[in-house]
Amino acid sequence: TSAEAQAAKTPNTVVTKNICHQCPARCGIDVYTTDGRVHAIYGTADHPISNGKLCPKGPLGIYVLYDPDRWRGPMKRTNPNKGRNEDPGFVPVTWDEALQTVADRLNGLRERGESHRAAMLYGRGWGASCAGLLGTFGGLYGSPNMPIGHSSMCSDGSIVAKGYTDGNASYNSHDYRNCNYLLMFGVGFLEAFRPYNNNMQMWGYMRGRKTPKTRVTAVDVHVNTTLAAADRGLLIRPGTDGALALAIAHVILTEGLWERSFVGDFADRQNRFVAGQTVTAAVAPEPVINAETGEATSPEITGEGFVEKWVTGLVDWWNIELKDRTVEWASEITDIPARDILATAREFGSTRPAMAIFERGAHSHTNGIYNGMAIHSLNALVGSLFAKGGMAYQMGPSYGPMPADANEFKDDWANNGDWKTQPRVDKKGSSDGYLLARNMMQEIGPNHLAGDPYKLDTVIFYQNNAIFTAPNGQVWEEAMKDVFIVDTSPFPTETGHYADIILPDHTYLERYQDSPTYPFEGYPLTQLRVPAIKPIYDTKYFGDVIIELGKRMNGPMADYYRALDSAENVLRHLAKGFETDPGDNGVNSWESWVEKGVWYKKPYFWQQRDGVFFEWDGTDYNREMTPEEVGQKLLKTPSGKFEFRSAALEANSDWIVGATGRDPANLMFPIWEPPVHPGGGDLYFVTPKVALHAEGRGHNIPMVIAHLQPTVGGRGEAFVEINPVTASARGISDGDRVRISSDAGSIEARCRVYAGVRPDTLVLPMEYGHWASGRWSKAVPTEHCGEATVNQSDRITGQAMYYSTKVQVAKA
Amino acid sequence: MVIDLETCTGCQACTTACAMENNRLPGENWQDVLFYSEGEYPNLNLSWLPRPCMQCENPSCVSVCPTKATYKDEGTGIVLVDWNKCIGCKYCMVACPYGVRFYMDEAPAVEPDVRAEFPASGRRSWNPPFKMPDEYEDASKGIGIQPKGVVSKCTFCYHKVSQAPAGVADLDEDNPETKEFTPACVRVCAPKSRFFGDLDNPDSHVNALIAEKGGVRLKEETGNKPQVYYLSGGGSPAVPGNRSRRS
Repeated sequence: TSAEAQAAKTPNTVVTKNICHQCPARCGIDVYTTDGRVHAIYGTADHPISNGKLCPKGPLGIYVLYDPDRWRGPMKRTNPNKGRNEDPGFVPVTWDEALQTVADRLNGLRERGESHRAAMLYGRGWGASCAGLLGTFGGLYGSPNMPIGHSSMCSDGSIVAKGYTDGNASYNSHDYRNCNYLLMFGVGFLEAFRPYNNNMQMWGYMRGRKTPKTRVTAVDVHVNTTLAAADRGLLIRPGTDGALALAIAHVILTEGLWERSFVGDFADRQNRFVAGQTVTAAVAPEPVINAETGEATSPEITGEGFVEKWVTGLVDWWNIELKDRTVEWASEITDIPARDILATAREFGSTRPAMAIFERGAHSHTNGIYNGMAIHSLNALVGSLFAKGGMAYQMGPSYGPMPADANEFKDDWANNGDWKTQPRVDKKGSSDGYLLARNMMQEIGPNHLAGDPYKLDTVIFYQNNAIFTAPNGQVWEEAMKDVFIVDTSPFPTETGHYADIILPDHTYLERYQDSPTYPFEGYPLTQLRVPAIKPIYDTKYFGDVIIELGKRMNGPMADYYRALDSAENVLRHLAKGFETDPGDNGVNSWESWVEKGVWYKKPYFWQQRDGVFFEWDGTDYNREMTPEEVGQKLLKTPSGKFEFRSAALEANSDWIVGATGRDPANLMFPIWEPPVHPGGGDLYFVTPKVALHAEGRGHNIPMVIAHLQPTVGGRGEAFVEINPVTASARGISDGDRVRISSDAGSIEARCRVYAGVRPDTLVLPMEYGHWASGRWSKAVPTEHCGEATVNQSDRITGQAMYYSTKVQVAKA
Repeated sequence: MVIDLETCTGCQACTTACAMENNRLPGENWQDVLFYSEGEYPNLNLSWLPRPCMQCENPSCVSVCPTKATYKDEGTGIVLVDWNKCIGCKYCMVACPYGVRFYMDEAPAVEPDVRAEFPASGRRSWNPPFKMPDEYEDASKGIGIQPKGVVSKCTFCYHKVSQAPAGVADLDEDNPETKEFTPACVRVCAPKSRFFGDLDNPDSHVNALIAEKGGVRLKEETGNKPQVYYLSGGGSPAVPGNRSRRS
């Protein structure tokens, strides 16, 4: 083989399996090491996500490993004063001293009955052997704040919108290979949408080799590579994506383009959806009971009413909202020409299979829940849910059980301690906070500062640089001064700059770690990081840090962690699940998982075909499912159907009315609600992630700095894109340094006059402005967009609204 | 090499993979992607062009080289630089119509200078810890860490493609037999917009693509005859690559 031939040339080359760490996509990678040097990374050929390919970040993982700014080992702070301009005075300590210091702190809190004041905050969790250990720790130790995930600062808006409509609070899996129409709202499909590498593989197929070629309409606020490569790019006013989606739904109904096998139809098959006119729901006649047998039969429904099939609330949604959401109405709101909206709606409604996908561009606004629900409703109208060429949800892997059951190691405090009555510090689940959200990390800094609900004592950060990434992070800089901070990043970070103890993790090329896939193609898939080389420095895998901390805790919980022993032991136990359920690639053990790097098992189990749901029977999608099974396994809403009228939102109507002032008559439908833009400026400020954004590490990679923003020549820095009309009205010329200001703060960046950005919008990629994260990033002159971003959240989804602030711009 | 612009996503993976495979300095891209925009809001046309060395059949860089440091490898047709002979006069950089040759001793594109962070001794310009295996380095072909005072260029990953079995029509990353011999920029390309094959072999996929999807070469008027073709679609006439037969 070619590998053998290459081996003859370089006999000392070893290839190990790993997973790229630079975005959530989890591409399997082959890491090439020769004579102790890691010198190349390529995609793993027999890996379903990477298929041997990479995105531009993938090859740069070597830089992450050899970053000269990495921490060399555990450290403690010697300067008690904390601040941006304070030198922490870190000095090396042994792992034993560092871990014992943290353990003493946690034990002390617990003895004083204050264990709720300890928190663990994590960013990119990978699997059972890292973030998966944290919830168990919190349950044994006794804190509602262990852990708090970053999902509200990520993309909870889409997850929650899907949960309220189809009952699955998750990202979707997608069948792009068989999709004929893609409608994308603020997605960045060719820059940032996960899984980016695979998206591009699918793009090459959909747009180059597939018959018929997949048509694409992309909606955004500036021309990026996605819009440039699409058939149609629509430049929309920020925060109005829901209005566009409602108008598309209006056209689909008035022009009779909806998928009748999934949605249903008028009983007499006459389309009565006419703009401005109400329709009626069909009333099911009473069943007829046979007097002799007692058997009940349902007579056929007749008349003018609409008979719903796999959806609920369509008639009410139309009457309350949709009937007036015409193309002309949406054109006013979205600033998109009516003819383009109409053409998009007709294409989307008449091409099957079609998918409408969205992310933060659409839902990172005060009306995000409704933007998301409106867009996702389009998928129901054209019958894409669980269809071939449509979208579904992700199955989990066949893991074996953990080495021990944590419930057997709980003491009285863990079971009945006072901590159970404490709210979460982020007020997730609190009626005076965010009752319905999943996480509210962006609130922790402000809440701690206000002492409401209480002051934190100790916070352990994993893959999380909240002091930098939280909107208006300046508040966190003030808030975290009196908190004992433990940072576990392998690299210096702004949060680490505030740390009292540094427990540096291995980089991803140095550690064993599991990672079930993010929603991908639905079938279960999980993968493994295998160290390419021994750790270069005195670092420790975060999973082992948690286990070692656990062993040092008082009480029975230490015995649990002694039973876990090590992260590698945990992984070996997980792999036992493969022995009875081998993967398609033959992986049936720890050893074969290490060798192949991935376990996966096709196919996805379910498919909806022409309004009938089928389950895989071992050879094909042959077994027809009952409505009860569909509700239990697929459409997990209270009704077991796609809910245009969300029963879950309706059930929380009182709280929503109180918290938001919304109208109880329509708050449960995908409605249009104008977004609220704080900040006090006159220009929208949108701060997208670009292709080279490597989840908080790209900024210090010289190769990334050289290529960050190619579309407008952003090499060496990030430019703020400004429309020529907007620039000239303010006396700003191309290349000028400009000041961007809002109520939250003000920053400087160099501008690029670019005709591809909306005149009412500034675009500045989120990447730079780091002041404590390495020499290369510190040398970049662009300042941090987050410091001019107001901390505002969607009251329902909890989504941090990175794109809702309005700013002013002037020559600096 | 064939580059299909219809599916290229402008992601720059070719750029970064090349840079890491060939130990390039940040921003000194043997394989760059150039971006263009024209038009007025809202009708802006954003486009891009991946640009490797064209590996010309008739390379002007070779004819101007006073020391014969730049030469065409007979077996592969690849244009290489012998760093032992190069005197750094930069004639070739002026002569190249495509701007794809690089002199090492310029100011760094990114500060701090990585050469200072990973210093090397002697003529070597730097010594990154991720340097390619020693077996690949070959100064006579311009492969490895670029020394001070010389010009470098894309080698089509000569250290890989030259290992391929003789007579193979295409080096395809999706074929396990040829994966390891495929140039880095082709191997990583996620939308599969790049193809590498033998133009002299009528069975190669690259020849079929050029015929079916209207392959064109850049700057035909120079007479350099690039061996990199661009595809911009298919099923309709493309920009012709040479003069009309009527005249």
